[in-house]
Amino acid sequence: MISLSDIPARGGSPFTPAMGLFVALLLTAPFWLEPIGLYHYLGIEIAIWILFALGFNLLFGFIGLHSFGHGAYLGVGAYAFGLFQQEVTVSLWGGLAVAILAATLAGAIVGAFVSHRRGIYFALMTIAFGQVFWFGAIKLHSITGGEDGLLGIARPDLVVGPMRLDISDNISLYWFVAVILVLAVVALWRIVNAPFGRVLQAIRQNETRAQFVGYNVWLIKWLTFTLSAAFAGLAGGLFAMAQESAYPDVMSLHQSGLIVMMVLIGGGLVSFWGPVLGVLLYFIARDIIGGITETWLLWFGLMFVIMVMVRPEGVAGLIHVLRQKFAQTQQKTVAPASNPERA
Amino acid sequence: MMELVPHIINGLTLGLLFALIALGFTLIVGVMEVINLAHGSLFALGAYFALATLGGGWFGSTEFGVWWLSLPIGMRYVFALVVGPLLAAGAGMIIELCLRPTYGKAPLYGLLLTFGAALVVEELIRLIWGTGEQSLTVPQAINGAFLMGGLIFSKYKFFAAGFALLAIGGVWFFLERTPYGAIIKAGSHDSEMVRALGYDLSKLRLLVFGFGASLAGLAGIILTPIWGLRPHVGLDVVIPAFLIIVIGGVGSFWGAVLAAVLVGLSVGITGAYAPAWSMMSMYLLLIAIVGVRSRGLLGRKSALEN
Repeated sequence: MISLSDIPARGGSPFTPAMGLFVALLLTAPFWLEPIGLYHYLGIEIAIWILFALGFNLLFGFIGLHSFGHGAYLGVGAYAFGLFQQEVTVSLWGGLAVAILAATLAGAIVGAFVSHRRGIYFALMTIAFGQVFWFGAIKLHSITGGEDGLLGIARPDLVVGPMRLDISDNISLYWFVAVILVLAVVALWRIVNAPFGRVLQAIRQNETRAQFVGYNVWLIKWLTFTLSAAFAGLAGGLFAMAQESAYPDVMSLHQSGLIVMMVLIGGGLVSFWGPVLGVLLYFIARDIIGGITETWLLWFGLMFVIMVMVRPEGVAGLIHVLRQKFAQTQQKTVAPASNPERA
Repeated sequence: MMELVPHIINGLTLGLLFALIALGFTLIVGVMEVINLAHGSLFALGAYFALATLGGGWFGSTEFGVWWLSLPIGMRYVFALVVGPLLAAGAGMIIELCLRPTYGKAPLYGLLLTFGAALVVEELIRLIWGTGEQSLTVPQAINGAFLMGGLIFSKYKFFAAGFALLAIGGVWFFLERTPYGAIIKAGSHDSEMVRALGYDLSKLRLLVFGFGASLAGLAGIILTPIWGLRPHVGLDVVIPAFLIIVIGGVGSFWGAVLAAVLVGLSVGITGAYAPAWSMMSMYLLLIAIVGVRSRGLLGRKSALEN
């Protein structure tokens, strides 16, 4: 089986072909979404979930901590954004900052509890904490609005210096989310290709060795957990804006499980871009299969089960294997005799 | 203190019911080191199969169907108690067959596959039985309420708790006092040696998974009259089972039973003071216990930690 570090990650410049393709698709999306029969709101949703999934993969794929309660931090971000708009002041940057801060704080506290757990115990503890947040969101009626959640969250104006732009319609909100996403992706790319990212992968491969080399494994795990929660909080703030509400459903185990499915099916375990593919696949399944039959989740679930059985490396792993095969056959045709043992 | 008594009794019965749910789960975790997230779906599936058996849904309005419905409900109920778990076992065995490629890989894959299977089963239930709430009728003899010490108790809850006790005893007897139990335990301890002794391990795994699934189905039939039956009931059920296994210690039979009773008591007693928060108490109990004892109350080292 291949893993993340078998695919050489080119360090340094984030301007790779994959990044170029990603940015190009993202920035042209408003022009082709409607002609191919989709709608702009879907673009916003996909962009937010990509942001969430990429941040989550820092934890899931890179350091190998399998959190099953990550929806909680998205939810915390969403509620923080909403509460800030309703209780303090209507401000875009303020709301997003508070969303990130709140999720970071929640992640830091939970991270302190779970970072020394290993394997399945880590997964179980994250589920328990996720359920605590979810339960709290439902039961703290006076703050969170209970099961209905916070309704009527505004989409505040974008203020940059002297400029003041209205982003309350879906197209301009899409542009805003897309720009944030590009910035976040470049930041994440820098993180995983920096020495810090290498340490994360070292910890996933062999925790004891990483410890003996002198890294403070607990601290790095905790930092990664917190960082990943911060990205979830940002995604949550944007999500509250997109939905114009915040509700407990996103914190449920079901949603936290779905994000794991998306990351895995796309190949988050083997590639930086895996989560992106996974999110796309999920939303395509939801909107296209969902348009044909109401039981689309049945087909998505079946696809997922088959994927885990035959190709647990996901779509990205599949692409990697196909490319390797392609390169091998090309090599064979170019120089068949020069390297016989290779064939 | 006296006013707490009914809550403690409620908590104890609830704990026994939790133990019944967790029984199949702990068996599969302990023997196969697979976290079976589809456990709750098998629970629901067992209950739905029993529902279809009890209501004669299988046979429609054929002559046999009419004859079947004319039978006394007690007889049909007992029959459903046998058929439901058996069919759930069949579904569990299919999941086990799908699980085979994940053996020897990280435990994460087993967990993910069963999560996918849970989704599939839930959607299938929606497709076949619809999304609405259903209820399972039980015979008159175990329905209704009775008075004890000036307090009203539900007869069915006591029947269910007694049944749970019986099931716990039965599984314990099977694992500890029969040669089959010995092989299963040996298989979880040292699978290579068991294979070297000539036992077919893959058949053993299939049977254990089927047995665990049938226990889930049985729990479903027993608990449905109390908790109601919805397609997503699986998720509501797998979480307590999960927590109980972790609190009790993965793979420990008595740990699971003890944890289930503790969880039941904490939910029951919290219910006396803050009913809205009663279900929250089990998560806090988990965080408190696992925060101190990382392997749970009676846990031992397991491959799932890697």
